[in-house]
Amino acid sequence: MGFKRSPQTFSAKVNAVTIGTGEKAVTIGGENVFPLYSFDAPIENKPKIGVQISDRGYNNAVAGIAEYYKGAENFVDMAKKAALMPGADFLVLSFESANPDAENTSVEECAALAKEIAEAVDMPIVVEGCKNKEKDAKLFDKIAAALEGKNSLFLSAQEENYKEIAASAGLAYKHKVGAESAVDINLAKQLNVLINQMGVAGENIVMNLGSAAAGYGFEYVASTMDRVRSAALSQNDTMLQMPVITPVSDEAWSVKESIVSQEEFPQWGSMEQRGVSMEISTAAACLAAGSNAVILRHPESIATISKLISAMCDKEGN
Amino acid sequence: MGLFDRVFAGADDMLAKAEQDLSAAIDELGIDAPMVMPDTGYFLACIYAYTGRKVAKLSDLKEAFDDVKALCTREQKTEDIFKNGIATAIAAEIIEAVKYAKSPNPYEDSIYHGHFSDAEVRELGVPLVTQEIPGFVVIIGAAKSDDEAFELIKGYQSRGIFVFLIGDIIDQAQRKNISMGFAVRVVPTGKDIWSVGHIISLVVRAAMIFGAVQPGDWDAVNEYTFKRIFAFVNAFAPVDDITVACGGGAIAMGFPVITNDENNMWRVPKSLIIQPDTSDFIETSLEARDIKIKVTNIDIPVAFSNAFEGEIIRKKDTHVDIDGSRLDCFELVRTKQAHEIEDHSIILEGPDIDEIEPGSKMCAGFIVEVAGKNMQSDFEPVFERRFHNFVNCAEGVMHTGQRDLIRIRVSLSAFEAGFRLKHIGEILYAKVKSEYESVIDKCQVRIYTDPAKCKELRAEANEVYDARDARLMALTDESVDQFYTCILCQSFSPSHVCIVTPERLGLCGAVSWLDAKATFELDPNGPSQIVTKNSLIDERLGAYEDVNEAVSKYSHGALEKVTLYSIMEDPMTSCGCFECICGIEPFSNGVVIVNREHTGMTPLGMTFSEMASMTGGGVQTPGFMGHGKHFIASKKFMRAEGGPARIVWMPKALKEIVHDKLNATAKDLYGIDDFCSMIGDETVTEDAEALLEHLGTVGHPVLEMEPLL
Amino acid sequence: MALKGLDIFKLTPKTNCKECGNPTCMAFAMKAAQGSVPIEKCPYLSDDAKAKLSEATAPPMKSLKIGVNETEHTIGGETVLFRHDKTFVSKNLYAVNVCASCVDEKLKEIENVDYERIGERMYVELINLVYEGDKDAYVELVNKTLNKGRVLILDCECVDAARAALDVCADAKPILNGANEENYEQMNALAVEKKVVLGVRAKDIDALYDTVAKIEALGNKELVLDVTGSSIKEAFANAVQVRRAAIKDKDRTFGYPSIINAAALAKDDINMQTALASVFTLKYGSIIIMQSMSYAQALPLYGLRQNIYTDPQKPMKVEPGIYPINGADENSVCCTTVDFALTYFLVSGELERSGVPVNLLISDSGGYSVLTAWAAGKLSASSIAKFIKEFDVENKIKNRVLILPGKVAVLKGEVEEKLPDWKIIIAPNEAVSIVKYFKELEV
Repeated sequence: MGFKRSPQTFSAKVNAVTIGTGEKAVTIGGENVFPLYSFDAPIENKPKIGVQISDRGYNNAVAGIAEYYKGAENFVDMAKKAALMPGADFLVLSFESANPDAENTSVEECAALAKEIAEAVDMPIVVEGCKNKEKDAKLFDKIAAALEGKNSLFLSAQEENYKEIAASAGLAYKHKVGAESAVDINLAKQLNVLINQMGVAGENIVMNLGSAAAGYGFEYVASTMDRVRSAALSQNDTMLQMPVITPVSDEAWSVKESIVSQEEFPQWGSMEQRGVSMEISTAAACLAAGSNAVILRHPESIATISKLISAMCDKEGN
Repeated sequence: MGLFDRVFAGADDMLAKAEQDLSAAIDELGIDAPMVMPDTGYFLACIYAYTGRKVAKLSDLKEAFDDVKALCTREQKTEDIFKNGIATAIAAEIIEAVKYAKSPNPYEDSIYHGHFSDAEVRELGVPLVTQEIPGFVVIIGAAKSDDEAFELIKGYQSRGIFVFLIGDIIDQAQRKNISMGFAVRVVPTGKDIWSVGHIISLVVRAAMIFGAVQPGDWDAVNEYTFKRIFAFVNAFAPVDDITVACGGGAIAMGFPVITNDENNMWRVPKSLIIQPDTSDFIETSLEARDIKIKVTNIDIPVAFSNAFEGEIIRKKDTHVDIDGSRLDCFELVRTKQAHEIEDHSIILEGPDIDEIEPGSKMCAGFIVEVAGKNMQSDFEPVFERRFHNFVNCAEGVMHTGQRDLIRIRVSLSAFEAGFRLKHIGEILYAKVKSEYESVIDKCQVRIYTDPAKCKELRAEANEVYDARDARLMALTDESVDQFYTCILCQSFSPSHVCIVTPERLGLCGAVSWLDAKATFELDPNGPSQIVTKNSLIDERLGAYEDVNEAVSKYSHGALEKVTLYSIMEDPMTSCGCFECICGIEPFSNGVVIVNREHTGMTPLGMTFSEMASMTGGGVQTPGFMGHGKHFIASKKFMRAEGGPARIVWMPKALKEIVHDKLNATAKDLYGIDDFCSMIGDETVTEDAEALLEHLGTVGHPVLEMEPLL
Repeated sequence: MALKGLDIFKLTPKTNCKECGNPTCMAFAMKAAQGSVPIEKCPYLSDDAKAKLSEATAPPMKSLKIGVNETEHTIGGETVLFRHDKTFVSKNLYAVNVCASCVDEKLKEIENVDYERIGERMYVELINLVYEGDKDAYVELVNKTLNKGRVLILDCECVDAARAALDVCADAKPILNGANEENYEQMNALAVEKKVVLGVRAKDIDALYDTVAKIEALGNKELVLDVTGSSIKEAFANAVQVRRAAIKDKDRTFGYPSIINAAALAKDDINMQTALASVFTLKYGSIIIMQSMSYAQALPLYGLRQNIYTDPQKPMKVEPGIYPINGADENSVCCTTVDFALTYFLVSGELERSGVPVNLLISDSGGYSVLTAWAAGKLSASSIAKFIKEFDVENKIKNRVLILPGKVAVLKGEVEEKLPDWKIIIAPNEAVSIVKYFKELEV
């Protein structure tokens, strides 16, 4: 007798988007099943992992991160090391220092660094801004020019600055555009429509649906991803068929659980282990909810999540 | 000579010059000499964009020239003007390109810019696409005086318009020490008219880069430039034939030409405009090309931020108290024709606040006049209702109320900082224009403080308010062509969709049909979308194919159909923010309505919150439905089941709110007087049986109606 | 919901007799449709109607109770595959593996993690007792772990040893997780005899299906399904397909809660177990067995679980009160926001990062976000003033600066009127700007 299987495959699918060029280029998306449901149909492209480095350096980071980048004198050195991180598929450059409230590094300086890194590494590059929407618009314009031909992804265009980023990174320099909205399916769709109306094809957009660390409103992230994926597949909603990238590390490494010292909370144990655990738990939950790529920081997290992805998506026996 | 002949003559002149220069170059360099423009991947961009031909050698250019010649058809049709115009532009590109065949940088030692690199195209293209730069102008010829040239260029600069100069105006700008260059957005392109070829090259490359236009797709190039590139031409008299022909090309690309040359010139609406008064060039040009100038800052002497929104100005700190409860005050938005409005004009009629005794009251009326192609008078109250938000954000200024019951206080310190009435005008201008840019093209503010004038205008304003209220009352579901969705609540009620109609406002009570309509017009991708009403399924139920499609689409498939007027058959779903819930009361065959504020029991045996937990979350629960308070008195309230006559119980407080309107509706529909007195409430009973008894005693009409179940 | 309230109402006597405990038949019918009142409560329904209704209103997935008294937990009873479709009802539970050789050390570790987060106790709810072939040692293990405030899982395929263990602990309602395609008859008889929930496992999903069907045929429906299998991929495939069959395809044979043994899937790889536990929290694990549960693991896992099992229509709320941050005392400034947990965490997190001592005042605002609470009248000058009075803030705190959320700047004047002794200032609109704002704050 046995169990009567009823696989849920759909005629619609998530767009496959390629980032980077050459052998190391990565493709995310392409599946026509719910996240990681490889028992329903093969997962076209398994989820990918980005290793995030900041232009403000990791001098004060936890030991495992600091140790990994030890000896790196500058951002370019860090990038070279990051590009060798086992388990990582692409490089995420975070230009935090450009924030006017931080060092307010000039866009020209950032662009020059980005260019230098792009020449030094062969990994696909994802560019993150400084969390200041106005500055990001200018920053991405210059970096997009500096990285012309590299087919990078820019994270992210938001409601306030999507025009500049779509026009520059998306149209003028033919990169991929990240569309970031605040955990709401309708806002996500609206932004995709607007970016699309600027002339950027849906196939060149990757969504960042918003992120939250485990325990910090993750239910909104999970439900938004559930709904977006469901609308993309079962409703064939082309304006929600973009693959999803989720920056996990920023959230995971800034919640109380990851930053309170062991001296302050002896019972909680090693701060580093707490941070790693938070990063792993959040990333795994994101993948289960529908992220096609996650952005992580700690070598241990990257190793574990990479192993998880293989265990979930590779064919048995591989 | 007619316009056609001038264009044809001009095209001939330009082509002759191109042919001559090209032959000379071939003679000099040889037919196989390379022909490469520097720093571009788009060959000779005009030729590439319009014909698909990739020019790399002079021989290619010669072949291309033959294509261009073929474009110069000579029938007297508009199409011929366009074709000859584009041919003229391409010929201009050829004339300029030949210079680059001879020398890698022919303009090295001159002020002229010449060819634009791809990098410059992108640098200008990005802000053009995002409309950070609202558009660009090509100014050709010489202004009547150096001063006039100066004014014109500066005028465009101050509005963020990118300026290209061709010909003698460059010398004028130089004499006036205007700083020029790509970086300062005033580019001295070239001395001769054919330098326009560089600008057209830039434009068509923008179309290929930003619009993904395929080389050789003539129509796509022109469609892109028309729709996305907000350019126009100012040509000073005297305009020669070549320039007229170039103008034909500009018009083909969707760029209007504005000139002060009245000789031998023909007006073509929206395309060729004669404006003898050159001081009006800017206004005329912007209007012709539909360019809106964005307002980026508010020019007032005090801080402006929503941190000041809740500030209260006390009497002792008040410099002036504009008090609508005592004096004739009002504020009003009026829709006008574009020509009736001078954008950003702030007109004060009457004394300003520095002419009064500090601490005293005065009257004031504010009329904000707006114009825009998409403006509708229905939006007037929507804008007006925001005035208090806008004005409140100024530090030291407080605004409450609306219509003719406004109250504005300006504090002593704001007054000392230089705040005057015109600054309220500045705030209203800047906010209305920036918040509603999708519908407003022009805006001006009139402020009146003369008591007699205020009295007179207030009376007029009241007529407007009355007319608006009357329109609102007269709006019925039948009298409009479309309904709207509202999905604002989906963040917590993912499958709920409100269908908002004139007679059925959103269940939260906050979104009327007019609000939803304005939301749609102002934010076309936002939460309110049009629902057509073309295919009626059942009039009694208010069932439409269109409504069902919309509900299915916007609930992402969770819901298939709803009716507008029934609570028994596919009733509309509820999110969680409904003002009221009605549920059927089976013993009387009526419905009980309870509002959120009422915490007590109902004859249904359930409280508001118990009923809410069953009806919320976008789930269809026949027999129960969430709705707004004002829906109760609507003639469409459960019309399928017989209408408001079904209402058997409501909390007293709710009854008071809807009392007058519900009585009027019941009188209209059933001829019943004082229907509300028949409806039970908590002072009558909270028990179903006792309620039935009460209904019998008062002779409630529900007892005569069909059973609900 | 298969049946609407009105359909049920039609079958009631319509007498409002109140014998079911509800004031009206309509109220009863509406609640029965929601599943919050069992159909049997109405004494006047015909047997025919009852049978028809209980079938239609019974959840597609069995709801089971394990443990007794304070250790009692409910598992299963889910009605939807995605929480946004309604809500998940029974949160997944965590078990930690314990064996005869490591019991003392493990018990200490298990008891170490025990804390409260937003009104919920976070601890290891179950202990998984691994049978290693020695019956006496197993009984000893049961004795040591019984009465530790945790429900036991007897992870044991040996009927003999299981009987011996149950002789000791059956009254505590453990789970007997040991039936397989070979021993199911004896195991089932034992579970029925001892009145405990039976865990069923098999070599693959087909064998599991058949075995469950056979046990059901024997009359037992108190089952959990151990879907672990032999690989991570298989475990995930099993967990999803079992739940989907039950809820989407209405296949009652798989309508039971599940057990996932993450410890077995990633032996000694603690990070991987954390990752797996997270995946199975989202996708359909009812009980997740771990090798360990340190604070590092518990903090994200319990937080994630609390998030996922929140009712989408009832936002998580924190308790109203005065929350001193960064060692704030009576001389530190006050700032206020709403009791919506997400807002609280966001704001308190940013305040912590600013390093500035602040008293965070959380008033009851119905669990809404700032703007929603304001629009609903739950965050107003009166509600803030009421909070200051009720929590005796003016006696507890000397500082008289109160910072309002930027989004309700509009309340400033009113708050000033209600709290004339206070200096009211306005914070930025977004939490992102809090660090900078507080660092530069001069008051």
